[in-house]
Amino acid sequence: MGEDARPNWDSPVQFLLACVSYAVGLGNVWRFPYLCQMHGGGGFLIPYLLMLFLEGVPLFYMELAIGQKMRLGSIGAWSAINPYLGGVGLASIVASVYLCLYYNIINAWSFWYLFNSFQSFLPWSDCPVNSNLTGPLEECQKASSTKYFFFRETLNISSSIEENGGIHTGQVLCFVLAWVITYLFIIHGIKSSGKVVYFTATFPYVVLVIYLIRGLTLPGAIHGITYMFTPKMEELANPTAWINAATQIFFSLGLGFGSLIAFSSYNQYNNNFEHQAFTVAIINSGTSIFASIVTFSIYGFKATVNYENYLNVVSAHLPLVINKAVEGVGLAFIVYSEAIQNMPLPQLWSVLYFIMLLLIGLGSMLGNMTAITTPLRDLKILSKVRILCLIFLLLGLAFTTPSGNYWFTMFNDYGASFSLLFVVLIEIITVSYLYGIKRFEKDIEDMLGHRPNWYLKIMWMIVSPLLLIALFIFYIVNYIRGGTPTYQAWDKELGKTVVTDYPIFGQVFIAILLASAVSCVPLTALYVYCTNRKHSTSIKESAISA
Amino acid sequence: MSGKVIFLLSVALSSAQQLCTPGASDGYKVRLSIRTALGDNAYVWSQNELFLFRATLAFAMRNHFDGQDFQVANIIVCDETPRVSFWFVVTWPDDATRLVDGGEVEQAIRKSRKRINSAFLLNDWTLEFVGIAPTLAASQLPATPPWLIAFGVVMGAVGAGFIILVVSAAVQKRRKKKENVEDVAEDEDSDVEAPAPKPLKNGSVRHEPSGVSNIAFSDDERVTQM
Repeated sequence: MGEDARPNWDSPVQFLLACVSYAVGLGNVWRFPYLCQMHGGGGFLIPYLLMLFLEGVPLFYMELAIGQKMRLGSIGAWSAINPYLGGVGLASIVASVYLCLYYNIINAWSFWYLFNSFQSFLPWSDCPVNSNLTGPLEECQKASSTKYFFFRETLNISSSIEENGGIHTGQVLCFVLAWVITYLFIIHGIKSSGKVVYFTATFPYVVLVIYLIRGLTLPGAIHGITYMFTPKMEELANPTAWINAATQIFFSLGLGFGSLIAFSSYNQYNNNFEHQAFTVAIINSGTSIFASIVTFSIYGFKATVNYENYLNVVSAHLPLVINKAVEGVGLAFIVYSEAIQNMPLPQLWSVLYFIMLLLIGLGSMLGNMTAITTPLRDLKILSKVRILCLIFLLLGLAFTTPSGNYWFTMFNDYGASFSLLFVVLIEIITVSYLYGIKRFEKDIEDMLGHRPNWYLKIMWMIVSPLLLIALFIFYIVNYIRGGTPTYQAWDKELGKTVVTDYPIFGQVFIAILLASAVSCVPLTALYVYCTNRKHSTSIKESAISA
Repeated sequence: MSGKVIFLLSVALSSAQQLCTPGASDGYKVRLSIRTALGDNAYVWSQNELFLFRATLAFAMRNHFDGQDFQVANIIVCDETPRVSFWFVVTWPDDATRLVDGGEVEQAIRKSRKRINSAFLLNDWTLEFVGIAPTLAASQLPATPPWLIAFGVVMGAVGAGFIILVVSAAVQKRRKKKENVEDVAEDEDSDVEAPAPKPLKNGSVRHEPSGVSNIAFSDDERVTQM
């Protein structure tokens, strides 16, 4: 046996909470409510829950099983499954690296907003006055005070990805803080992470419950809730709804990064991961639905606040408010801060909200960092985590520049989306066909004491691969049909975002992001093949010469 | 003699009237919305109120130009309407035929805007100088931005936690080293188990801190059927 036995979670509860903390991310809070309202409210739950059981649970279960069986990080685990497919693990690591590079900037923004909440007047509630003192700043007037605070005072955004220059000191400080805290979380591997997840997994729910109670008691909230729960069945005929449901389940569970394999590799051999897989997947989706109830009650409140003065029927204006809803970063920081400033005692609500965003974001960072450190530790490449954190910190400073948000969007859209689909597709095909479903079944029986349900076998062999192939094709078709990739650039004069094409170097970078992860698989297979051939030829030669 | 005076005065008056015309380049229109601002407590606009206005404006001009003694007579008003609006121009105290430049008047008014407003219990929007934008209160920026303070607190706490972590790890290492030295000395004498062995689930005994659990011996019976 080696000098260090593999560390273990202190209890299965720690593992469960780690998975929850990792899977429940910012996407549950801002992407799901957006998808819900875009696809007709309550009706979206049907494809969403269907996809959870067709795709989400089986794939989640598979990754946990692999990690717990092989007791190695992603590279080691996949090399053990099939010697030519160690590249799958490598591709996972590349995707995780990209994510770790850019994800912490979101935590930096959360810190920035959190620190700015400790003032008597929330700085995003009013426009600052211009230099002549004649009126509010023009940029702020054209946009809104919350948009101005985000784009100008938080990001100091330039007008295109080409323009650069300088860094935002406030953001840099918050970014450094985010990395210091991430480092402290993973400093002792799962010995430290295991304790941290007790807090990062549970406290966000406390905040969500408080917000739910607050949200439901806001005037007009009921309109938002009714809008959400009235399903628009005609939306189900739209294939985009189903595709979005599938992609949302896929990305929300954090498949393909290697984090789940890493986490479960620290489990006891006979840990009942089946139970945990179902639990975590259901908790994750439940959190999404819970968060969207909160979001919709706040939408209802916003509609009431905006239109009450005009004595119009609120429900007629709710779609107007909601259709202006943005997704992603915009929803989390702009729309929510707008809603918060209208609540009584806004500082308290602001602090609570951004602490929740922070914990959710740091929990996901923790998972992805573990996905990188585990295989590196297995291969004895990495001895000190701090070097890795330092490298990521220095590289990530690029996201604190004025054009940083554009690079962030690029990484967010291309760095870890398509490649993950590819990785998980290869994973499921490998496990079902190359490794063999029978062998996989026996491994699970070895660990759990019983064979997996026939429902899971059907999913693994037929349904999930088909779904993934469909998503894969859809993505490719979208890329090709979409023409030049574009991004939303902030126009100072107009006070809003305009669609702009990526410049050549931007498109090249996108290609690199996509190709670098995907190409790991064939390149590693080729490398292994060549090494084997050399090895076998040298054996033959030594046999002949002997 | 008195006739001459009257003549001169009328000339002065008429010339003054000529100086003040609606749309004069160096003049400004003033609009008061007293009822909007004060509702039931609105006062009635009268010539006395107009006198107060002219006096306040003279005060503002005096504040702006050091040493120039502007008089009420230097503020010429015309084109009054009952909704309460009128035009005014300002003449120099030493030369009643010359108008003070509009830009200077604007600056003078903006400097003393608050005082002018408070004399009439109005604000920048209800006492409107058409063409002169209301002066907003400058944003109060404290010396240290508040977010920096909050950041400092959190960073300090994190730093303290970090130091505690490092120190406790170092202390533990030192303790372990000492124990290891004692253990080695003990093992040389006897091969009894170290103090307080920790029994595992399947009943085997494990020596702490060194010693590796052999999973091949754990929970095998359940699966292997003989």
